[in-house]
Amino acid sequence: MKTKREFIHNLKELPRDELLAPGSPLCAGCGGLLALRLLLKALDGNVAVVNAAGCMTLLAVYPYTPLRTSWLYTTMGSAPAGAQGIRDALDVLIAKGRLPREEDLRVVVLAGDGATLDIGLSSLSGAIHRGLDFYYLCYDNEAFGNTGFQMSAASPYGSRTATSPATPLQAAGTLQQKKDLFEIWRSHHPPYAATLSTADPVDLVDKVRRATRLRGPKLFTALAVCPPGWGSAPSRGFEIAKLALDTGVWPLKEAIDGKVRHTYIPQRRRPLEEYLRTQRRFAHLFSPQRQEDVLHRMQQAVDAYWDEVQRHEMPPR
Amino acid sequence: MVGEQGGTRRMLTGNAAAAWGARLARVEYIPAFPITPQTEIIESLAAWCAGGELAARFVTLDSEHSMITAAGAAAATGCRVFTATSSQGLLYGLEALWTVAGWRVPLVMVNVSRGLAAPITLEPDHNDILAARDSGCIQLHAETCQEVLDSVLLAYRVAEDPRVRLPVIVNMDGFYLSFTREPVEVPTPQQAADFLPEAQGEPEFRASRPLAQGVAVLQGALYSHFRYQMHLAQEAALAVHEEAAADFEQICGRRYGAVEAYRLEDAELVLVMAGSFATKARAAIDVLRSEGKRVGLLRLRMIRPWPAAAVAAALGHRRGVAVIDQNLSPGLGGILFQEVAATLARSARRPGVLRSFVGGLGGKDISLGEFRHVVDVLAAASDSEDLHGSELLFTEADWQQVQSLVQLAQFPETQAVPSDDGRSEVRR
Amino acid sequence: MLRIRFHGRGGHGVKTASRIVGTAAFLSGFYAQDSPIYGAERRGAAVAAYTRIDTKPICERGAVAEPDLILVVDETLLADPAAGVRVGCEFASALLVNSGKEGTALATELRLPCPILTLDLTAVVLAVVGRGSAQSAVLGAAACALAGLGPLERVLEAVQRELVELGLEADEQARNLEAARRVYADLSAVPARPRLPASGQVELHRPTLAKGAASRPIILAVGNAAARHTGRWRVFRPVIDQEACTRCGVCFALCPDGAITLDERAYPVIDYENCKGCMMCYQECPVHCISERQEVQAW
Repeated sequence: MKTKREFIHNLKELPRDELLAPGSPLCAGCGGLLALRLLLKALDGNVAVVNAAGCMTLLAVYPYTPLRTSWLYTTMGSAPAGAQGIRDALDVLIAKGRLPREEDLRVVVLAGDGATLDIGLSSLSGAIHRGLDFYYLCYDNEAFGNTGFQMSAASPYGSRTATSPATPLQAAGTLQQKKDLFEIWRSHHPPYAATLSTADPVDLVDKVRRATRLRGPKLFTALAVCPPGWGSAPSRGFEIAKLALDTGVWPLKEAIDGKVRHTYIPQRRRPLEEYLRTQRRFAHLFSPQRQEDVLHRMQQAVDAYWDEVQRHEMPPR
Repeated sequence: MVGEQGGTRRMLTGNAAAAWGARLARVEYIPAFPITPQTEIIESLAAWCAGGELAARFVTLDSEHSMITAAGAAAATGCRVFTATSSQGLLYGLEALWTVAGWRVPLVMVNVSRGLAAPITLEPDHNDILAARDSGCIQLHAETCQEVLDSVLLAYRVAEDPRVRLPVIVNMDGFYLSFTREPVEVPTPQQAADFLPEAQGEPEFRASRPLAQGVAVLQGALYSHFRYQMHLAQEAALAVHEEAAADFEQICGRRYGAVEAYRLEDAELVLVMAGSFATKARAAIDVLRSEGKRVGLLRLRMIRPWPAAAVAAALGHRRGVAVIDQNLSPGLGGILFQEVAATLARSARRPGVLRSFVGGLGGKDISLGEFRHVVDVLAAASDSEDLHGSELLFTEADWQQVQSLVQLAQFPETQAVPSDDGRSEVRR
Repeated sequence: MLRIRFHGRGGHGVKTASRIVGTAAFLSGFYAQDSPIYGAERRGAAVAAYTRIDTKPICERGAVAEPDLILVVDETLLADPAAGVRVGCEFASALLVNSGKEGTALATELRLPCPILTLDLTAVVLAVVGRGSAQSAVLGAAACALAGLGPLERVLEAVQRELVELGLEADEQARNLEAARRVYADLSAVPARPRLPASGQVELHRPTLAKGAASRPIILAVGNAAARHTGRWRVFRPVIDQEACTRCGVCFALCPDGAITLDERAYPVIDYENCKGCMMCYQECPVHCISERQEVQAW
């Protein structure tokens, strides 16, 4: 079940303009890059992208940049503060008449899940708390991808990373639960927060467009299929992202002034296993022997989530 | 809180002087984060912004790391930016400091020096600011509250010059300047405007001209190029500072150099220092001069860029030179001594003897007796001696005090007993 | 000393190739040193790796500026100044390019001051090892052959050691060893011999303060990355059959790199200069009007 789209209804209405030129050094099939490209399409130009260290830092490697927008690389832990400086300075310059209003920019932070949930969490929290008028895109590939896929606070329980290997002592690989970014955001009372999927570009663009009408922090996190880190063929990126939606492990939702609404509710969720089996980072759950307890726990977490959604958002049958 | 109209001589703390410097510079953006002993600066600025005396946007960030990033990003966008920090805060923001220096953006930050943890302390020494030594930021070290204010104004002229485009840090000592009031001549707004025009840098981030700033460089030669450009910009700042200082003298009547000499003309023995403790050295020199010793002081005002020519010219021909570092690099000794010694090693004329002392760590006093000791060592030394380490200026009285406190910390049965002269004495 | 430099892109296996040669030399009783350059650990980014071999302890470190032998996995790197393939190639006795082209044709095209050899390593890997595999085994074997390291069994042992280190399954190891065997056989007739001794002489430049953006890490020519021609990374090329295309927009929407545009009639057009060949469009086209063709000329 999909909610009604407001601003764009099908792929044919996707804006044609590309703010992201081809030629970046990012991996073939990068889900984060696709999320960024779609978000920039929705924003329609006049953007300054403020980047935290991560895969996307390699978008602009001297002397080349694929972005036709402005770009500022900051540090891994302070990109939201970089956005604060630019936003405030633009406001000051426009107010003083030093910069014509038509020269204004939308400020977009571009950060991975490690920069978002680990090292940069306090900077991000501060920016939201200050009510900064900005966009935040977290491309969540569920690990520190740029350094070779080490565990981050977004690595899901049961996934294998370079620093949470699956061994007899820790059969599940990653033992911790993924931090819930959406709820962390919601606890800060931003005007807008949403999850995004590259498997639903229409929903993605629709959400970003909806957010443009609001002032303050507009926060997005996109599940970013990472072929080298996840151990999947680049060509299967869409399929995997779609399975994340249909198994319910990556819910599509938004919160406007705190009120949560799911924009896609899978009517009959597919077993989580179908999603897990597409990626080598979960292979240890099936071979050499099947880890029933881990799989059960993972499925249960998804089921519990949707039971809760059912209670709150869906009409009784 | 500080007075309202500029242009008069008044009693100001170093912190108030720093705030007045920012106000007279008509800064446009102030990202802030509190830390002792700097907090008064941002409190004054916050009050002026809220009250309308200063047309700047004041924003409290979530850390110094964020604060310096925001300061750099706003400066990159085209605003005139001021910020301030101290000690642990400077170190917390150090990564961002290197980053914004690498962006080559002009901003001015005041650092109020304070010793670094652990053990945590509040009083000053210069290890905090020297940890930022290689960041690419220009460093001006002030000795008086007057100099704090004037240096902030000078700093904008240097930072914003197209030949430079680097952040400038104005350093003052915690407590000894930050919380100490002394008479300060506050320039009039007109004087400030004559010296430093309104911010007019062309905004860099704008819709009509997208650009990528601070981009990754994955090649040694390119990195070498951009990093060395920072070095060349620093070197250019020496002349830019001279020009600005000449203008400043014309308008405000006070002259600042990269280094400052005190009673150097006929001095045989020279003390080299930085910061507010140099004032103590002046007093000691006056006493020692009255005893017939030909002693002088060279105060290092500009630490980066390093004024090598001025240092060599002032020290090369002396009989003895002692660098008194208010910092310590454990395992090496005083830090500025190394730089002075390296400069003199390359100069045609070298002093007969060169000695390193470390004093004033964590705000410990340097007494007349300690200065006298330094001068006595210099006077007695001969050039045949070599490879002396840094000697700590630390008296027997200091040692007695430390010992008694160590006793209290280590043995529960120890009690502090008031002694006859009113000082505490410790008995076991 | 023999200095070997490998150029490729992240995922090609140049680091492992440098280790294979290092191990082969070590097993042969030489002093050896191998190292990758650490930049972005990323599929597709230009990377390099180095192996040094000598009969006495090696007193050099880091990048090889004056190589005796250069191996290039991706010929597009030759056109990318940032990749540094041409650095010091006047010292090289051979530059091996992974290409289906004739060596002489490429030599004319590239105008390099060193002999150029070509061998289609990609074809060997596709035929023997399988799609999407790294080229470390064949590349390492090629370098061993050109460097005169042998015999074959020792080279294969080196290959196997490094593949085990990577955690490859037994059958993958076997296929890689077979591919390595073929490449070694193809090349062992042309061992490299150093042409010029390393000169050790340079002229120093005295930098001056640059004006404006040249003094700062700033790019004004935004959107210029298309000049990097990432299209040459492809193993497979997606081809759209316009007759069958329904103009649904799926391929346009899903291309991560924006290498698919829509023409004025809303038909998708692939920018082959930059399409990296992720093949998501091929996989997801609802009417299956996109086919895949193997690239012959380049990886």
